[in-house]
Amino acid sequence: MKNLVLALGFICAPLGAAADVATAMLRDVVDHHILPRYSTLAERADALADAAEQNCAPDAAALRDTYHSAFDAWIAVSHLRFGPSEVDNRAFALAFWPDSRGATPKTLAALIADADPVGTNPQAYADVSIAGRGFYALEFLLFDEQISTSGDATYRCDLVQTVTADIATQSHAILDGWTTGYADAVAAPSEGGPYRSTEEAAQELYKALNLGLEFTADTRIGRPMGSFDRPRPKRAEAWRSGRSLRNVEVALVSLQDLARRLAAGSDAVVASFDDRFDDALKVAGDLDDPVFAGTATPQSRLRVEVLQQSVAAIREVARDDLGPQLGVASGFNALDGD
Amino acid sequence: MTRSLMTSVLALTLASPALAVEKADVIDTYADIAEAAYGDSLITAQALVDAVDALIAEPSADTMQAARTAWLAARVPYQQTEAYRFGNPIVDDWEGKLNAWPLDEGLIDYVDASYGGATDENAAAALNVIANPTFTLSGTEVDASTITPEFLAETLHEADGNEANVASGYHAVEFLLWGQDLNGTKHGAGARDWTDYASGDDCTNDNCDRRGQYLKAAADLIVSDLEYMVAQWAEGGAARSTLTGNEDGAISAMLTGMGSLSYGELAGERMRLGLMLNDPEEEQDCFSDNTHNSHYYDGLGIQNVYLGAYARTDGTLVTGPSLSDLVAAENADLDAEMQLNLSTTMRKLGQMKTAAEAGMSYDQMMARGNKGGEALVMGGVNALIAQTKTIERVVATLGVDDVAIEGSDSLDSPGAVFE
Repeated sequence: MKNLVLALGFICAPLGAAADVATAMLRDVVDHHILPRYSTLAERADALADAAEQNCAPDAAALRDTYHSAFDAWIAVSHLRFGPSEVDNRAFALAFWPDSRGATPKTLAALIADADPVGTNPQAYADVSIAGRGFYALEFLLFDEQISTSGDATYRCDLVQTVTADIATQSHAILDGWTTGYADAVAAPSEGGPYRSTEEAAQELYKALNLGLEFTADTRIGRPMGSFDRPRPKRAEAWRSGRSLRNVEVALVSLQDLARRLAAGSDAVVASFDDRFDDALKVAGDLDDPVFAGTATPQSRLRVEVLQQSVAAIREVARDDLGPQLGVASGFNALDGD
Repeated sequence: MTRSLMTSVLALTLASPALAVEKADVIDTYADIAEAAYGDSLITAQALVDAVDALIAEPSADTMQAARTAWLAARVPYQQTEAYRFGNPIVDDWEGKLNAWPLDEGLIDYVDASYGGATDENAAAALNVIANPTFTLSGTEVDASTITPEFLAETLHEADGNEANVASGYHAVEFLLWGQDLNGTKHGAGARDWTDYASGDDCTNDNCDRRGQYLKAAADLIVSDLEYMVAQWAEGGAARSTLTGNEDGAISAMLTGMGSLSYGELAGERMRLGLMLNDPEEEQDCFSDNTHNSHYYDGLGIQNVYLGAYARTDGTLVTGPSLSDLVAAENADLDAEMQLNLSTTMRKLGQMKTAAEAGMSYDQMMARGNKGGEALVMGGVNALIAQTKTIERVVATLGVDDVAIEGSDSLDSPGAVFE
């Protein structure tokens, strides 16, 4: 019956008005959520590559500062896994994590041990395993005790410059993809485009919100939690550079922005989202456990669990209120499967 | 929303041409195919057990090869059942016993020095149960003096809560029949010698009797696990009755299974991830180099579900009213699009399979800089992604969206693999 009622909604509402609301929402998300965040990523990735050119020492202050600000910018778009980010595996090349088999240290150790010439050539580096590319590989190069000190220092310096240059190249390629066509493909769907209707475009954005919330709850927070008997704090995201909790916070802030824009047609749904997001961000702000080390002890573990539940509470609003409001299904995403 | 408006819409709906096909019949076909495909998996697994018995009784190059051939045959029907997994919790909760991967094979038997030892992630990664009749696991002393199916299922599988500790199922048996593939991304599969099962002085790599015991226990376990699943799909079985009791939920389950396998699992985790990592350990049938077939028959299983048709291993065709019929009644263009996309996927996976059979094995395709191999794998990936988009359109058209949301693995599964 619900579907009938929804269908009825489309039929009865003044057609032009309903379409206007949906079209305005799509344009708003593209212009004010997606494009500015990808611009920021490209700018900060340039700054990171420049800093590496100036001084590639793993502990150089400018390099570490720009690493953190560019990583923040990546996290803020990490839920937008469609369109230009998926062409040529760009997003995978920026961010390979989780890495349950230790492929990143293995790949970097092999490159460094062999002084593989591919590590000195940003163009050729595009052929290297994604485990050796992007922000999570760079974290090992700058912060891992073994990797950041192994082999020849000159080669490692070249490798840091190559990896940061590659990050900048990929970031710009994604931004270019958006500004040269994909922005309009989402904001103004057409029969011949990737989205044939406003509903299909809205579903893509709705899926992005769900993906970000799911990944944040189950992976960013869930992975280090492990099980009660077997907590896994060393599985936390980017713990070597102390970013595990920060990534959760940056992701939530960005996801809240997306959720508010998607829900713009209903003040009540926007308010529900704000309640839940504000709560989750407060829990995160009070946690004082930057790398989720507390998952190992029962008392502090409980606090991480509360954070996870507060993100789950946001997912309920997305599923129960926003989905029906937009009239779209949750669809399939990259996290389906085992 | 007033009643009269709703009534008029109902009238409109009813005035449209009567559906040529009933959901109940489509669900019956779906369950019949499951019963047949799990049945074929069971028959071919029983043949595998027979071949394993022969290998242990009379170890030779011939009996070893016969066991490998039986394993390869057993994969053909089983992989076609994978489209049932994500939509049906009864399958998904069970399948890890049978088809889990990747595995830390050092848990089971000897490995090459390059494998390394225990890792941060897995303390049991190099346990080598075949060489150790007793050992300590998660702080507890374990007696493995006799390796039985019960021991594998209840003690060793996912030991220490780690999914990489795969003690049973197809890939454990595959490792015991082929051994490690030490060729990296170069041509060649595992090359375990039959003398690993020889008796007396002919035995290589020690503990041949225990290795045979392990192999036999693991093969027997595949059969008993499949017997359970065949019963779930038989008339009155739990998997079947769950679906017939909830028609929209059943249609949603079919589409969820198709979409989740197409996108997150096959296109994502199994194909694209391994390719981007250039890591042969990320290929699914990594010991036997049979990965091209496993992917191909996964794709075929998805197509089977949509078309409502499955060719049994004895040549019998199981067929009936299908999802395709349901969609065609609502929107013929969308049905044509779905059929075309599924066919394109099978052609792309077929090209990958053909190249593998002609000599470029799947691990070679994953090698850094192999542009041709990358194109073959990505051809399959892109086709699977495209068909997922159309599956989403089918979900919307059949109006099973809210059912799909509740039953969707994407909201319930904590198992994130990558982003």
